[in-house]
Amino acid sequence: MILKTNITEAFRSLASTKQRTILALIGIIIGIGSVIGMVSIGAIVENEALKQFRDMGVDIAMVRKTGSDKSAEMTLKDILDLKKHVPAVLEVAPFLTAEGDYGSGSKKLDLVQMGVTESFFNLNKIRASEGRLITDLDEYRYFCVVGRETSNYLKSHGATDIIGRQIPLGNRIFTIVGILETVPEGGMRPYGINSSAMMHITTAGRSFQDQTLNSFMARLDGKTSTAESKAAIEGYFTKTARGLRVSVNTAEELIAGMKKQMQLFSILLGAIGSIALIVGGIGVMNVMLISVTERRREIGLRRALGAQQKDIQTQFIIESVTLCLFGGIIGIFLGIVVSFVFALISKWEFLISYGSIALGFGVAAAVGIFFGYYPARTASRLDPIRALRS
Amino acid sequence: MLKAVDIHKTYNVGPTKIDVLKGISLEVERGELLAVVGASGSGKSTLMHMLGLLEQPTSGDYYIEGEKISYDNDQELSSLRNRKIGFVFQQYYLLPRLTALDNVGIPLVYRGMKDTEIKERSMALLKKLEMTDRAGHKPDEMSGGQQQRVAIARALVGNPSLILADEPTGALDTHTGQEIMNIFRNLNEEEGITIIVITHDPKIAAQCKRREELSDGLIVK
Repeated sequence: MILKTNITEAFRSLASTKQRTILALIGIIIGIGSVIGMVSIGAIVENEALKQFRDMGVDIAMVRKTGSDKSAEMTLKDILDLKKHVPAVLEVAPFLTAEGDYGSGSKKLDLVQMGVTESFFNLNKIRASEGRLITDLDEYRYFCVVGRETSNYLKSHGATDIIGRQIPLGNRIFTIVGILETVPEGGMRPYGINSSAMMHITTAGRSFQDQTLNSFMARLDGKTSTAESKAAIEGYFTKTARGLRVSVNTAEELIAGMKKQMQLFSILLGAIGSIALIVGGIGVMNVMLISVTERRREIGLRRALGAQQKDIQTQFIIESVTLCLFGGIIGIFLGIVVSFVFALISKWEFLISYGSIALGFGVAAAVGIFFGYYPARTASRLDPIRALRS
Repeated sequence: MLKAVDIHKTYNVGPTKIDVLKGISLEVERGELLAVVGASGSGKSTLMHMLGLLEQPTSGDYYIEGEKISYDNDQELSSLRNRKIGFVFQQYYLLPRLTALDNVGIPLVYRGMKDTEIKERSMALLKKLEMTDRAGHKPDEMSGGQQQRVAIARALVGNPSLILADEPTGALDTHTGQEIMNIFRNLNEEEGITIIVITHDPKIAAQCKRREELSDGLIVK
C-alpha cells in the first residue's frame, strides 16, 4: 500500500537522477565494503585458528636454534633429555630434514626426506593409511614411510605395490613399510609431510649429508603458562646444553599472531569504513537535500492532497534508505572480494560470513535513516502553500 | 456547508504587517457553484488557501459541515483536506514522473487504500472525464486541457464535499477553458457537487450561479 507506493516512488526518483545517485553512493559502497571485509576477515582468521586447534591442539611448540655458533650444536641427547629437566614438556619430537629431487627424467618429485622419532607422528597427528609408521624400534634400520604424494609419484612411475618396495635414498636402499594419510599443510607442521620419505632419525644421522639438528617440536602440558614454559626450555639449553640459544614458538603464539594481523587489518578497514560511511552519509544527505529542494512543489501538492507530515517524512526516509541499501549491496560484494583476496594472499581458507551480509544491510539501512532523517524532516515541515508556489 | 466568520489574515513581512483578508464572512450551501472574482492582489488566493485548509487565519472562525476547524492539529487538517476537499490548480500540478492514472490516485494513497482499489477508482474517474486512453501517459505527453482533466479527476477521486478551483482555466486557451468550465457545470448540475471557482475572468464568473467579488481583502458584493 503506502509503503509499496513509497518504494516505487523512491526508485523512480533515484533513477531519474542517476549520475547524482551513483556519486553519492561511492562513499557508502566503500564504507559498507570495508565493514563487510573487516567482519569476513575476522571470520576467516577465527576459522583458521580453530582449524589449528582442532588439528593439533594449541599446546604444540616449535623450538629452533638461534645464532650460527658452530661450536654449539644441538644433539639428539640434549633434545631427548629436555623432558627430564623441564616438567612442562610432555613429549619431544626431534627431526632432520633434507630436500632434493627424486627420480629421473622430466618429471621429478620434490622429495622431503625426514629423520623422525615415533613421537613425531603423535605430535603432528599423522596416521598410516597403509602399512605401519616408523617406531623407535627402527633405530639405524633402513626402513621408511612415504607421504601420499610420494606414493602417487611412485605409482605413476610404474610401481604397483608400494609397501615392501625398495627405493634408493642418498646412497642407501630403503624398504617402504607404510604410506601416510594426507595432512593439511600449514600451522605448526613442518613443511612437506605429504611429499616426504621418513626414516628413523638415527638412520638419517648416517645417511643425510647435513646432520645438524636445528629444530624440534615439543608438546607442552598446557597448564604451565606459555611464558614460563618458554623460559624453562630456553634456560635448560643455556645452562645444560653448553649455552645453546633457542627460540620457542608456540601454537598459541601463532594464533595470537594471526589474530594480531587480523586486528591490524580490522582497525585499518574499520577506520576506512567509518570515515567512508560518514562521508558517504553526508553525500546521501546532500543528495536528499537537493531532492527535497527540487521537489518542493511535489511536497506542497502532496500535503494539499492530504499527506500528513509523517507521510512526507516516511517518503523521503524510504528514498534515502533505498539509496543506501543499493550502495550496501554493491559494498557487500566489494567486501567479499576484499576478504577473498586477503584469504588468497594469506593462504587461508576463504569463507563467506553470512552474519556480515546481514550486518551490511543493517548498517546501510541505519546510515539511510540517520542521514535521511534531517532532509526528510525538512521536507515534512515545509509550509504547503509556500512549497506549492515555489 | 461552509461557513467563514470574520476571517482576518495578516502577514508579517519584516517589521511591516500586511493585512490581506480584512474580515471576510462567507456562507456556501451544498450544491452551489460559486465564483470568487477579484483583481490580483485582492486576496482571493489567500481566501482559497484558507477555505482549503492550507492556511490558518490570523483570527476568525471557519466551519466545514458544521464542524469548527481547529488549526493546532496538522494530522486532523491533513485528513480533512484529504476527505473533504478537492483542489484544482491553474498549473495543474501533476507529478511529472507518474502516469495520469497514478496521479489521479495520490489522494487515495494517503487513505491507506489497497493498490488495486486505487487503480480501479482512478480508472473510473478518468473514464468519467473521457481520459481513459491517456491513463498510461505522463503529464508531458498530454496537452494542457488533458492535464487539467486529469487534475480534475484527481480532485474528484476521493469523493470530496467541495471542489476548490484556483484559476482553473488560466493557463488554457478560450476553447479548452470553456470545456473545463462545462465539466464543472455538469458536475455541479448533475451530481450536486459544491464547487468554488476563483477567477479574475468575468466570462468564467458569469457561468456560475453565484458570484462574490473580492477587493482589497473584503467582499464587496
